[in-house]
Amino acid sequence: MSKKTPKFSRSLAIAPSTRGFGYAILEGDTTLVDWGVKTVKADKNARTIAKVRQLVTKYEPTVIVIQDYAAKPCRRSDRIRALGAAIIALASECGLPIVLLSHQQIRKVFFGDGDGTKHEIAKILAARLPEELASRLPPKRKLWMSQDYRMDIFDAVGLAVALRMQRPKRMP
Amino acid sequence: MASAQLSNYLRANRKRLDLTQDELAFLLGVEGAPKVCRYETFAREPSLRTLLAFEAVFQKTPSELFAGLYREIQMEVIARAKILSRRINAGKRQLHRARTSQALVRISTVQPKTGSNRP
Repeated sequence: MSKKTPKFSRSLAIAPSTRGFGYAILEGDTTLVDWGVKTVKADKNARTIAKVRQLVTKYEPTVIVIQDYAAKPCRRSDRIRALGAAIIALASECGLPIVLLSHQQIRKVFFGDGDGTKHEIAKILAARLPEELASRLPPKRKLWMSQDYRMDIFDAVGLAVALRMQRPKRMP
Repeated sequence: MASAQLSNYLRANRKRLDLTQDELAFLLGVEGAPKVCRYETFAREPSLRTLLAFEAVFQKTPSELFAGLYREIQMEVIARAKILSRRINAGKRQLHRARTSQALVRISTVQPKTGSNRP
């Protein structure tokens, strides 16, 4: 019998937004260990990094995954791009590999060569993980509505699931 | 790269039931949300009564809910079983301890649980 501790791959996905960030911790292929939204006010990037550091300390992930803000046609704000760079620096400081997934890579995982919306990805995830996510699925956004804060959770879970299903660009 | 199991999976199980920490504290019969928070952040281990209340709420065994802690304790027990087995085999009355020896072999050769925490 092996004396070694059983090993699990655990990924931490971060999806920053204007209010704060959504996060998801996926263990193995299908076990969501934690998920949610953290709001930050004032000095958003520094506070977001502090909260991400807490998640890293608590869950000891084996990989961090974020969206690739350098890939076209990503149109995120300068603050979010700077936050992406800060998360990469944090991962490097903690000795964790970081994976960057572009918008197209995520959609390719869920729709193949077809096209789909953010809400359709959220519906797929809610169907795949009903106990965890079905009750958090927001209604479809109308043109005059701002994005529901719960969509940050689905963005983060989408990143974590997409990472499991493909081999993206990996930073050293 | 890989990592060990978490000490417990209470937070994930609570969120699956859409319970707040306050509501769970009420169900467990403990003081309040801060105590549940300490259990979830691995800062505190529950008493036997609370552990059994967790089992009643989540309908899962303690070894599933506290997978990492269970694994850690299991490894310690296996190591002690091997030591005890060697002591018994070295003793004079080993013939009269056949059942104990069998039990110790069973304990020290058990395959630790490595399954996921899915319901």
